[in-house]
Amino acid sequence: MSVGNAPVKLSVEGLSKVYESRQGSTVALEDVSWSVNEGEFISVVGASGCGKTTMLRMLAGLILPTDGRVLLNGDVVRGPSADRGFVFQQDALLPWRTLLDNVLIGPDVMGRRSEFVEEAKRYISLVGLDGFDSYYPHELSGGMRQRVNLARALVVDPEVLLMDEPFAALDSQTREVMQAELINIWDQARKTVMFVTHQIDEAVFLSDRVFVLSPRPGRLRQIVDIDLQRPRDLGVKRTARFAEVVDQIWKLIEEEVRAGIAEELRDAKRQREGVPE
Amino acid sequence: MSNQTATVATTTHKPPSGQKSWLRGVWHFLYQHRRGAGSLVFVLVALEIVARYIIDNQLFLASPTRVYQAGVALGRSGELWTHIYTSGIEFILGFAIASVVGIAIGALMGLSTTVRAYLEPWVSALYATPIIAIGPLFILWFGLGITSKVLLVVVTAIFPVIINTHVGLTNVDQSLHESVRSFGASKWQLFRMVRLPSSLPFLVAGERLAVARALVGVVVAELFGARAGLGYLILVSAQTFNTANLFVGVIVLAGSGVIAMAVLQRLEYRLSPWRVRE
Ligand SMILES: Nc1ncnc2c1ncn2[C@@H]1O[C@H](COP(=O)(O)OP(=O)(O)OP(=O)(O)O)[C@@H](O)[C@H]1O
Ligand SMILES: [Mg+2]
Repeated sequence: MSVGNAPVKLSVEGLSKVYESRQGSTVALEDVSWSVNEGEFISVVGASGCGKTTMLRMLAGLILPTDGRVLLNGDVVRGPSADRGFVFQQDALLPWRTLLDNVLIGPDVMGRRSEFVEEAKRYISLVGLDGFDSYYPHELSGGMRQRVNLARALVVDPEVLLMDEPFAALDSQTREVMQAELINIWDQARKTVMFVTHQIDEAVFLSDRVFVLSPRPGRLRQIVDIDLQRPRDLGVKRTARFAEVVDQIWKLIEEEVRAGIAEELRDAKRQREGVPE
Repeated sequence: MSNQTATVATTTHKPPSGQKSWLRGVWHFLYQHRRGAGSLVFVLVALEIVARYIIDNQLFLASPTRVYQAGVALGRSGELWTHIYTSGIEFILGFAIASVVGIAIGALMGLSTTVRAYLEPWVSALYATPIIAIGPLFILWFGLGITSKVLLVVVTAIFPVIINTHVGLTNVDQSLHESVRSFGASKWQLFRMVRLPSSLPFLVAGERLAVARALVGVVVAELFGARAGLGYLILVSAQTFNTANLFVGVIVLAGSGVIAMAVLQRLEYRLSPWRVRE
């Protein structure tokens, strides 16, 4: 597809993460390996709690793997850096900064604020927030804040975009507009994107490949190639092929979701019985 | 408390600038506080009646008019200003030192777990101790002058500042911290861009507690032995059964407390324009 013989941009080898907490240890991710080429658009789907956020945070360098490693351009990732932009699942805007100042956090960290003011305004208008520059986060709606999150990650022009359910808080119309906008941005700038979502149709519409994770412990269950023609417009969502691919992925996840829920219930029951009142 | 709503009113409903704008401001202020002002007037009138006709004994109670006359007399003779000046210097010096040193210690505790491990037992023990009780020792050590007073104010006021600074710097929303860290921010940048601003409300709350404690510290330190000051005025008035003068001292102190709180509130609004106002 669009990727052709592009070089490998981002890869993980034997990636595992075990969280230690008072309740014991949780294997959030176990022995995951994949590699992604430059300019590829990858979506990650899987049941809740299967380690999607965990994987993304390791790619960002926000947490370190228990085992295995993350490679960016062939170099081991040891910490966060502006070459990877992170769009958080929950909106994480600084309440004491205005919208514009929030978008300029990245440039502030790099010590290059003044160079980026124009760029910041461009992205603010791209996500449809023209005229809200001086608003504080508490004066914006949830969907608007989520769009600020996106603009903030884009403004420093990262090589890799890591997006954790960035459109989850948006209504379905805005979501579609943002999907198209994201495709546009990706088309022009050819960034490498890792996009976590619960919406399978969103994953299929946006991606070159979809990574399906299985829960408890999180493993890479399957990689689904999306062979839909590009450029895609929203009309592609109404084709038979699209429905077919969505269905294929949904079948993969459905079992996992059921298994996950059943296990959660078992766990809860065990805990209830194990801890005497 | 009424002074807090007062600052809200004057900041949010800024009257248009012009000749009579301040007059309108005063009117607006009075209107906003008509209930508070009403209850104040009611209590003053009641006190006047009680002091004149019911407990007609100048030893127990001074009527508001007599307190007012005493205040005017003390002001004319210049005595009142000496007392206010002395106590004011003690308060300002003590409070300033407590703030600066307290914030520094609190910040060190918030930044270094080692420092915190050494200091925490002291801070939590001394915070709850009525240190003011060892005031007489301070007079003994540092004399009747200003030094003993300032030091006593520092040790009474510093602990809420330390604790609030420390708590503010450690209770940082992790997701905010991460969102800035994801750009590769250094420890120092994280401190400046996330921890410091998010600790600001805690800091101001600590300063408020410190103001109240510092005022008590000034008066009590002077009660233990002094040559001038509002506490000294109160002490001498009590010993000479001059109830009216005693109340002058108390009222000036109350007024100072109200003003100090209002200044802090203003400062807080200036420093944190993002916070939602009622
Ligand atoms: N900081 C942590 N400490 C302990 N356990 C954690 C921590 N973060 C995540 N986990 C556990 O790791 C597992 C994976 O969590 P993660 O947040 O990666 O899931 P997710 O796939 O992003 O879920 P969702 O779709 O609901 O966002 C969960 O079982 C969770 O309880
Ligand atoms: Mg998640």
